[in-house]
Amino acid sequence: MAIDNRDPWPDLVDAVRHEGGTDDLLCLDDLHVSVHDGAATAVRGVSLRVRPGEIVGLVGESGSGKTLTCRATLGVLPPGCGVERGTVSFGGVDVTSLPRRDWERLHGSQLGAVFQDPASYLNPVLTVGAQLAEVLRVKLGLGRRAAHRRALELFEAVGLRQPARVFHQIPAELSGGMLQRVMIAIAISCDPKLLVADEPTTALDVTIQAEVLELLQRLRDERGLAVLFVSHDLAVITQLCDRIVVFYAGEIVESGPAEEITQRPRHPYTQALLRVASVGDFRRRELEVIAGQPPRVGEDIAGCRFAARCPVAVPECEAGPVRSVPVGERHEARCVLAARAMAVS
Amino acid sequence: MTTAPAGAPPLLAVESVDVTLGRGWRANHVLSGVDLDVWPGEIVGLVGETGSGKTTLARTVVGLVNPKRGRVVLDGRPFSALRRGARRAERRRGHVQLVFQDPLRSLDPDLTVAEIVAEGLRIRGEADDEIRRRVTDALEKVGLDPTVLERTPGQISGGQRQRVSIARALAVEPRLLICDEPVSALDASTRNYVLRLLDELRTSLGLAIVIISHDLSSLAGIADRVVVLYRGRIIEDGPVDRVFATPRHPYTALLMASAPSIKQHSVRHDQPFAPDQLRRTGAGPAPPAGPGACVFADRCRFAAGACAVQPPLTAVGERWSVACHRHQEWGALAQSAIRQEGPTHAR
Repeated sequence: MAIDNRDPWPDLVDAVRHEGGTDDLLCLDDLHVSVHDGAATAVRGVSLRVRPGEIVGLVGESGSGKTLTCRATLGVLPPGCGVERGTVSFGGVDVTSLPRRDWERLHGSQLGAVFQDPASYLNPVLTVGAQLAEVLRVKLGLGRRAAHRRALELFEAVGLRQPARVFHQIPAELSGGMLQRVMIAIAISCDPKLLVADEPTTALDVTIQAEVLELLQRLRDERGLAVLFVSHDLAVITQLCDRIVVFYAGEIVESGPAEEITQRPRHPYTQALLRVASVGDFRRRELEVIAGQPPRVGEDIAGCRFAARCPVAVPECEAGPVRSVPVGERHEARCVLAARAMAVS
Repeated sequence: MTTAPAGAPPLLAVESVDVTLGRGWRANHVLSGVDLDVWPGEIVGLVGETGSGKTTLARTVVGLVNPKRGRVVLDGRPFSALRRGARRAERRRGHVQLVFQDPLRSLDPDLTVAEIVAEGLRIRGEADDEIRRRVTDALEKVGLDPTVLERTPGQISGGQRQRVSIARALAVEPRLLICDEPVSALDASTRNYVLRLLDELRTSLGLAIVIISHDLSSLAGIADRVVVLYRGRIIEDGPVDRVFATPRHPYTALLMASAPSIKQHSVRHDQPFAPDQLRRTGAGPAPPAGPGACVFADRCRFAAGACAVQPPLTAVGERWSVACHRHQEWGALAQSAIRQEGPTHAR
């Protein structure tokens, strides 16, 4: 009866449905990702959880490992990179070493993705409508007519003004903001539980960026879509996300509810990021910088990886590995001083 | 901050410039009637979205694009009227320099930093020891260590590369620096470092600087004046603190309301409107359209009958002008809409 009896894991749709609303949808546990064919470790022990309907933002400088983390989540690490240690589980099922074919079943139906440059992910000579309809026909087995109808509904759902017109246009005829909406329509076409969005608004104009962020929020509200959102811009992350995860040199240095992170940051790096971010009040002010450079990708450092740039570092910081400690409700920081402050209180 | 003395001539004067790219049915009117003055020691922020003509304006100022109408006057000399040899000679003097957005693509990957910075001087035919002196000098001005001299652009960090671009421009001792999105490829900390550097250079060297950017809040940090471009027309031009305090054009207000902020969780007193209170809704009468209509009318929530004609740039304050028929009314209209619909703080 089952078409594919070699199905190695129970049907994910059911697995997720039966686990109830508060359980974790995505769970990364002690994830290590190596680069340059194993020569260096760029992601070092990342653990994070995303609940259904939650928008989680990963923020950090370029090279901090946030993009590799979300590529590992999607099972699409670039050549030469691999999961060295740790697990990625989705709906309670370990998907870390899934074969290619099974990833393909997961993509679309459970996991959607949008990236920074939508034009490079679309076929330039096919109409965007045909590309969306193809996904619907292959993934959901819809007929030609039904796929067309569903495509128009999806284009409408992502806020494209004239769906019937857009359907017959090729990527070059659409603006960057419209293309990103098309990509989002394709990503959500099979009703995934999680959307992974890697810098989806970085190349867009600020007015269009605001519209795309509103769209993601609306999709979460209407469909219960969880979003893993990656950006180097803390202001964008704060605008959109429920929870913020701060990356530095391959590690998570702080994570917590957005309001906690912006109002009561506990890690000196988060505090520094907040000082240099766009405040958005448009007043003339002293432009602050974070002194020093981040360590090279994969560099081995005995203690805290931020210690060399940290304004409040103490000798203990460089002594040995620093563990992440809870500093509040679902709020953790990887800092010797934050741990000390918690121990006192 | 603004050092422009009353009556002194501007260093750069762009006078009612029209630029058309392409010919015949492909002709694309990229700039229409653009006026822009920049004085020495001043930083002007040029803001606009993709396709608004910011980069074309920069290219017109340095003479890479010829205006169809109007002229570009640099230091009293009409640069855009020069032809061939005269223009080449003027360009070699290097009074205007352009800094590009992506240094990895605009710097030759096979040349060392020393060769890149020296190139303009070599073309001008300076002597070797003079070149060496100026290269060291330029690198020092941007805070780069001489150890990078023998490296190629691929071997240094993004922030260092952008500083090399600026050093290359500074080596020929320009009087006007045009930076096309100099910081949009950089992390926040590095961005602030480069902006601070530009701010210091205008003071120490008396440079006039035009910064093209889509990031208003970084301009707010250093610019004296902000010029907003929309589909090839300047729609607002004024002192940065006043424009950002009370924008007079609905598009400027929309740009500001759309800028992301880390202050989201406290109520934003600084921004009276949420973006959706300024965007055109699907409902209501169709906006005036047609070739002569206001360029912003089709996106403007406040467009009315008068907007069927493009409004001219009109003075609304000291050195502050705006191109909007309804610049005195739209603010009140937006306020009354909020009273009817209730404030939307959920952004």
